[in-house]
Amino acid sequence: MRPGAVACVFALMALFTGFSADRVRKQAAAPADAPSTAPLIYWSAGVETAEALKRAGIERIAAPPDKAEAWRGAGFKVVAAGQAEFDRREKLLTPRIAGRADVASATRRPWIDANGWRFARNPAGEFYYDLPQGKAAMAIAEAFAYNADAVLKIDPADLAEAGAMFAFIKNLTGENYPPVADIGVIDDKSPETGEVMNLLARRNLLFDVVAVPAPQFRVNIKLGSKEYPRAEAANPSEFAQKIRRRLGDENRSLRVYGTETVICRLTGDGARARLSLLNYSGREVGGVRLRLRGNYGRVEARAFGLARVEPEDFVNDETATEFSVPRLGIYAVIELKK
Amino acid sequence: MKRRTFVQLLAATPLAPTIQAKGDAPKYKVVTPYKPAAMPGMPGPYPGKVVSVKSAKCLSEDGLKIDGEAVREMMERGMRALAGDAKAIDSWRRFFTPDDVVGIKVNAGGRPWVVSSHEIVAETVRNLTAVGVKPQQIYIYERFQGQLDQVNYAPSLPEGVNIFAAERANARNDNQNYDPHVYVEADFFGEDDTRSNMMRLVSQKLTKIINIPNMKDHGATGATGCLKNIAYGSFSNVARTHNRGVSQTLSFVGALAAVEPLRSKTVLQIMDGLRGVWHGGPFAPTLKYVFFPRTIMFGTDPVAIDRLLLDVIDDERKRHGAISIWNRDEKTLDFNNGGDRDKDPNVNIIIREPGHVEYAGNLGLGVHDKREIEVKEIEL
Repeated sequence: MRPGAVACVFALMALFTGFSADRVRKQAAAPADAPSTAPLIYWSAGVETAEALKRAGIERIAAPPDKAEAWRGAGFKVVAAGQAEFDRREKLLTPRIAGRADVASATRRPWIDANGWRFARNPAGEFYYDLPQGKAAMAIAEAFAYNADAVLKIDPADLAEAGAMFAFIKNLTGENYPPVADIGVIDDKSPETGEVMNLLARRNLLFDVVAVPAPQFRVNIKLGSKEYPRAEAANPSEFAQKIRRRLGDENRSLRVYGTETVICRLTGDGARARLSLLNYSGREVGGVRLRLRGNYGRVEARAFGLARVEPEDFVNDETATEFSVPRLGIYAVIELKK
Repeated sequence: MKRRTFVQLLAATPLAPTIQAKGDAPKYKVVTPYKPAAMPGMPGPYPGKVVSVKSAKCLSEDGLKIDGEAVREMMERGMRALAGDAKAIDSWRRFFTPDDVVGIKVNAGGRPWVVSSHEIVAETVRNLTAVGVKPQQIYIYERFQGQLDQVNYAPSLPEGVNIFAAERANARNDNQNYDPHVYVEADFFGEDDTRSNMMRLVSQKLTKIINIPNMKDHGATGATGCLKNIAYGSFSNVARTHNRGVSQTLSFVGALAAVEPLRSKTVLQIMDGLRGVWHGGPFAPTLKYVFFPRTIMFGTDPVAIDRLLLDVIDDERKRHGAISIWNRDEKTLDFNNGGDRDKDPNVNIIIREPGHVEYAGNLGLGVHDKREIEVKEIEL
């Protein structure tokens, strides 16, 4: 397609979809080493704060429409985003530990506010975070891990941390592959099905949204069917457990040991895979053990804040690869090759 | 990066037996590359033998102070009686050589009143060094650093003795000190993490272990002594066995204790019964349920000692009019209310499983039948 035609396409997209077209154009213009999709910081301050952004290494922002041009003039890549834009977008939860779901239980599984299931449910969706101080980096990681179109309103105090996370993402090798899943979920768009997805994601039970039962999955869930009555979803945790049992732990593409606060996303193309580890605990976790179906001979790990970490204690057989990540802050990415 | 190691755990399959517990006990997958010793430490050379040494002098009248000299005498008499030697040092030499790297599994959970006492731990270390084991080859260990910090054994020990905890606290954030190649896998209550891993210190560093538990009531196991101290104190992720009034400790305590190399390396049991706790265990934050057996038990058979312990705890409970550790009446159960349990010895938060001792006996860890247990009682 000739350059003029490309400009025309963007103009048409902008006409009909406004911000999103702008976003698409921005990504098309991104340097080759930039990730295909990275979340955007919404920065409402004036251009006089440009130095702070530059110090944080942030060159791309979303800004109020009346300030966008000034920011562009200061050398930033800018997406104009007014209130209408946020009204249109789906608001996300602040990623965090929200308490303990079952204090009496010795399993003491903490309740986590996470958004991965929303991204998985609606990969083409448009989202935004409105974050308290201390959560910018985690939210950037979460959105990036799921390749989500997300804008983040952050506390200015988090600018440096946000910049560090963008730099970490920018330096990642590998690619975003299609999601790996063991379970198909037929989405009726109901809140109950959403909660089932939430609990599946929480337990690292990998799912994908499908229109009809898909033969590649051992388990396909359609809420309201004879196998999965809607009433059962009233207890989504139990429901997720039923699905887990039906799938069988031995058949899961991913197992996570040694933590109850890490949610993973696995993508892959059969020969290569990327595993994203999101640690919602707010504390460093040591010795997270991972088991992936498939025989991977090459494993590289990078952990935010810890640079490169060496996976260790490998176990490898014909069916699965196991290893430990010695240290994990809020985010790590593991690239695997067969 | 290429894999640094390539471990075929499948090769260890013959060493990975499947234990199918009776009734509705869970199925365990045991993974370990370690083989048992020719004579595993448990039950060791003295199956069914327990030496019980009692001394009125070991505690002050109010039970609050421990007399180190009395403890030393109790230890000497106990070890001699166990091994049948004229000199205690010869008895210690039966178990340890100067080359050994020795772990001392203490219990710091019942702080401040019912923990492995400084005096017994210090006397144990003194005897090890007398055998020729260097202080640097001795490890006092527990799972949680916070507990060890509070008990603070260091002032009682020679310089160089290591004090080691696998985790900072019971928060499931530290797994580096557990061995990913040695674990028991079981799904008890639908928990996400279904593995309990052995401490690397135990599997990779120590050559021998001395187990120093206390005489304690336990809300899940009925009583906690040798078996639970060594099992739950050497593996990760074990609290998951208690859930909403139900405990899977009946089978899991023995299943863990039987895993190699823990079973082979644990060669000596010294039960600290100077003080005990008859309710609210394994904790003893106040003196409310503390009692004073003024006893130390010696043996190599953890099952035999624990079988006696069950009666010690149950008898003490009876003395106070409390329900038996064998009581399985669900009316006693208030699983959401640890506070009521602490106030009232007739409230359980879990149906207790004192049968874990018999279960461990059936796994070959020792002698459970009291008729077959030889108890040598010494009163000083």
